[in-house]
Amino acid sequence: MNEPFRVGIDIGGTFTDLVLLDSRTGRLFNEKVLTTPNDPSKGALEGLEQILDGNGVEPHRVRHLIHGTTLVANAIIERRGARLALVTTAGFRDILEIGTEWRYDTYDLFMEMPRPLVPRHRRFEVPERIGPTGEVLHALDEDAVVSAAHRIASAGVDAVAISLLHGYRNPVHERRVRDIIRREAPDLVVCISSEVMPEIGEYERTYTTVCNAYVLPVFDRYLKRLTDGLRRMGIDKDLFLMLSDGGTVHQSTASSSPIRLVQSGPAGGVQATSVIGRLAGENDILCFDMGGTTAKACLVDEGEPLRTTEFEVARVYRFRKGSGIPLRVPVIEMIETGAGGGSIATVDHLGLVRVGPESAGADPGPACYGLGGRDATVTDADLVLGYLAAENFLGGDIRLDVEAANEALNRNLADPLGISAMEAAWAVHETVNENMAQAAAIHALEKARNIAGYAMFPIGGAGPVHACNIARKLSLPRVVCPSSAGVASALGFLVSPTSFTFLQGGVTALEDLDFGHTRAMLSGMEHDGRELLSAAGTDDAGVRVENLAAMRYLGQGYDVEARVSRQMLEEHDRAAIREAFETAYRKQFGRVEPGMPVEIVSWRVIVSGPLPDIELAQAGSTTGPADALKGLRRVYFGTGIGFVEVPVYNRYGLSPGNTFEGPCIFEERESTAVVPPGARATVDPMLNLLIDMAAP
Amino acid sequence: MDEIAQTFVRTSFSSVVRDNWDLAVGLMDSRGRQFAQSSRSIPSFIGTMPRTLAVMLRRYPPSSLKSGDVLISNDGYHGTGHLNDITMIRPIFRGDRLICFIGSVFHTVDIGGAPSVTARDSYEEGLTIPVSKIVREGEENEDVIAFIAENLRAPGETLGDIRAQFVAYDSGRKRLQQILEDERIDDLDALAGEILDRSEAAMRRAVGAASDGVYRDRIMVDGFDEPLTIRCEIRIEGSELAVDFAGTSPQVERPINSAMNFTRAYSAYAIKCAFDPGTPNNDGCFRGVTITAPEGCLINPLRPAPIWARHLSGHYLPPVIFGALAQLMPERVIADCGSPLWNVYFSGRHDDGRRFVKMFFMNGGHGARPHQDGPACLSFPSNVATVPVEHFENSVPLLMTEKSLIPDSGGAGRYRGGPAQRLGFRVTSRHPVTMTIRHERVKFPPRGLLGGLPGSAGRDYVNGKRIDAKVRMDLEPDDVVTFETPGGGGMGPPAERDAAMLQADLESGLVTAQGALAYRPGAASGEQGDE
Repeated sequence: MNEPFRVGIDIGGTFTDLVLLDSRTGRLFNEKVLTTPNDPSKGALEGLEQILDGNGVEPHRVRHLIHGTTLVANAIIERRGARLALVTTAGFRDILEIGTEWRYDTYDLFMEMPRPLVPRHRRFEVPERIGPTGEVLHALDEDAVVSAAHRIASAGVDAVAISLLHGYRNPVHERRVRDIIRREAPDLVVCISSEVMPEIGEYERTYTTVCNAYVLPVFDRYLKRLTDGLRRMGIDKDLFLMLSDGGTVHQSTASSSPIRLVQSGPAGGVQATSVIGRLAGENDILCFDMGGTTAKACLVDEGEPLRTTEFEVARVYRFRKGSGIPLRVPVIEMIETGAGGGSIATVDHLGLVRVGPESAGADPGPACYGLGGRDATVTDADLVLGYLAAENFLGGDIRLDVEAANEALNRNLADPLGISAMEAAWAVHETVNENMAQAAAIHALEKARNIAGYAMFPIGGAGPVHACNIARKLSLPRVVCPSSAGVASALGFLVSPTSFTFLQGGVTALEDLDFGHTRAMLSGMEHDGRELLSAAGTDDAGVRVENLAAMRYLGQGYDVEARVSRQMLEEHDRAAIREAFETAYRKQFGRVEPGMPVEIVSWRVIVSGPLPDIELAQAGSTTGPADALKGLRRVYFGTGIGFVEVPVYNRYGLSPGNTFEGPCIFEERESTAVVPPGARATVDPMLNLLIDMAAP
Repeated sequence: MDEIAQTFVRTSFSSVVRDNWDLAVGLMDSRGRQFAQSSRSIPSFIGTMPRTLAVMLRRYPPSSLKSGDVLISNDGYHGTGHLNDITMIRPIFRGDRLICFIGSVFHTVDIGGAPSVTARDSYEEGLTIPVSKIVREGEENEDVIAFIAENLRAPGETLGDIRAQFVAYDSGRKRLQQILEDERIDDLDALAGEILDRSEAAMRRAVGAASDGVYRDRIMVDGFDEPLTIRCEIRIEGSELAVDFAGTSPQVERPINSAMNFTRAYSAYAIKCAFDPGTPNNDGCFRGVTITAPEGCLINPLRPAPIWARHLSGHYLPPVIFGALAQLMPERVIADCGSPLWNVYFSGRHDDGRRFVKMFFMNGGHGARPHQDGPACLSFPSNVATVPVEHFENSVPLLMTEKSLIPDSGGAGRYRGGPAQRLGFRVTSRHPVTMTIRHERVKFPPRGLLGGLPGSAGRDYVNGKRIDAKVRMDLEPDDVVTFETPGGGGMGPPAERDAAMLQADLESGLVTAQGALAYRPGAASGEQGDE
């Protein structure tokens, strides 16, 4: 009955990663295949077949399949979603186009604003009005809805988003509009804001609803292809999907709320590092994920990744806050910089080296790929500096061309600046690292976290190459390179609990809080959550429920979240709720405002199942460090140190307890870890590489 | 630099500071040269800090400064142009040696006094804090604090912001010292010199690439009692650029004068946008740029001219500079935007008698660009975000009846100006609500450029009847006040508009069949001027 195998599948932009876990032994198997952009399910199914075949696992022995994908984000970025209509309160159909009225760049007169996902002529208004406390001020004009439904039907759309003012507070009009549209145009997909994201703030709520409707038909078709394929393979288990906040849900939940998957893959990577961290005794972590086009960083605090409900997708100016579509979605909070392995380095008009956000991508890729790329990239710099080996990239699948890298560095940087290619490469490396260190430092400040004691966990192909340098800039004491860092997201899917987050907005002064009504509302969300989990096969006894309230001082523009216990609500304990808020507020802002009234802006209920019981295999063999030695390589460590002959080790040949003094390099199939002079690396029982930065 | 700004923002309380980024943080070297500024600051703070510092150092020479001191002033004529912006600067020492200054400017809503549309001099506009040491060697100067506290209506919020900056300076100092250690830098002046030289070179290259010559424009300001004129002459010689505003109307006894620092800030901003938007902003950029205006004019008033609503003249400087530059470099400028920034103050009582005061910002259409339409309702040259309708309605007894784009409000052109918006507010309290507005571009709409037509003029209504654009009045329960912000000007002759783009505008309804007539060949062009 309980089949032993669990599979995680992460479809990224370039590669589809698979991880197979044998839960009897804790052994992990990896596979990496090329993503098939036209129909991503194809690559996923092929990869699945390979990993099962390759390890002699019959399909029916798979118990659990968990999947994450960039499909949702990509459909929005590439504007490949459904043809949409939007229904709003009369007088407000232009909310999407007016936006925040804020320029995301102070000096650029020619900045592009994101084009609305629904063109103006397909945005329909219906007379009705609900007030800020949820009272119906003007009844819905149903005749107008019927006529709008007819116009929508004749506009040739696939889906309709409905977002009415204060719909988060009272869904009655949104539901009625939905019912009428369903009656008049039964074939259309209809999403209402009070179900997709009942949060205050019309711009973000409307866009979240619009994006959900936009991707829903596409995602649905994709899921169907994937599950059909699985069934043909002989896997008849239900599929689970990874959400952006690190929870997993049954496919039926995902298909009605696809927008929740907007950051699905990266969330998996963070989940993996938090679990590996927990096993390695590290609970405060700076997770650093550097891939081909971007680098992301996330703080894990006491074993829990920081989360937020604000997310921006499809930025027009890549990575510039404010240039994209703002969503309200529970997500693991990450910062992103436009500096991955493929990011292009240039000299700006000030004579300074600039890296990214333009990327050479996978095609043509960095100059050293030899696929026709002529621009110098971060990977080219890392190759010239000796961090990467020409013959070991992706286990040797791609042979890197050092000459081409040198030429590109000369052309882009060294010639214009009158320096050597080596100096140019170092400048690129330092620029990327400094940018990331600064972004991470600002993020930590913003979150009021003192990260001086945090351990850095690099994942992604380029993460371990840059991690130690960045850690040193941030004065972090330790870097932990997990094994299989290159497929961390897929691994993360396997270690994440089944979980769903409900949100409910509605501003109420704490003084005026109606406890009976609040308890009923929270119980309703809890009930729905337990039903979801139970339908997904989770035993109700193991279900955990958490109630959080976003609160602020009266009139403030920012809120702070605090846990509110059932007891506080039952005992009508306003003082305890205020205290919970002020504790969180003090942590964030360093002070409180005694006597200032507090108001609740929204509620969040997280209903989650138990953490999957995962034990990763511990390596048993005991070989000496020398056994893993592959050879020596000349590597550059900056102007102060210059070139050093460093030993290069095969990561797969390491045994627990092995210790190495920096400088040294560890190579594995998907990545290379660089340990600088003055640091010391030790191999732990799970084959993580623990790098002590401050070793004497 | 953003890191200091971030700490400040994080530790500050006032929602004005945190929501609108109504602050700037800067670093000056030991000679007072500003070499870094937080990147998200609004333009009115550009370059004012070193000028304020110079004034401060006249009062407290560097030799009299000690580690842990903080200097403060809000003098509008030495600062950013009105009393509501407070500048503070902390000298940073390494051992005994003064190595640099960290400074910040931030906006505070309450600075005492009785700022109003009728103010006749700056004394009515609130408390002037002369250059003082608010912190002496780490100890708050109680006399200065008490003086400020005693003169404000809500001193808690303002003092909270002030103290938040003390925390920010400290974290900035630590981070700076770490960078100096790490990079083994001993002399910040040399580093600052290098940064300033590079910025200077970049701006000089950009100016040098433009043709020498003299370029002129003038723009009409609605004004209070009668229209006013701002004249602008830009002279380019080699890599030097001089802007002069000779011929501008004299200062007025209304709070719309723009003190010279505000004038400099917005002029420098416009020049940077047009010539060299990519280089980080610092003093070096403007070494080859001079900005002058006759003393006693609207944009270089003499004390004690009232200056509270300085943006009502100062926000005209970018368009008049772009207008002049359009003759030289039409590819680098934009048509007029629907600004000076529009806002409305509501004050009154909730049903239960609690008082409220709320300011609401609303932007007009953005001017068309050389190869793009102007975006709808975008803040320029200031940069403030709007308050979401649902948050607004949760905080005050007013209901919004509309927030929608106005058809035909964007000026016609090869590229169309950004549409303006119509906003309606209904009083839902059972008490009257007092409303204060001071709106521009009602008499003289945003101009088109290079043959583009003007955007629509702004309009204000109560219950459907036009009202004055600069007024303070009571609204009764159920009254509806409606604002139509100005539309962005168009760029290039309308007849040259791409047919598909015009068709798309007709389909979206942003241009009506009637409005489309302006695009027919031979229809009126925008060259007829602004009167």
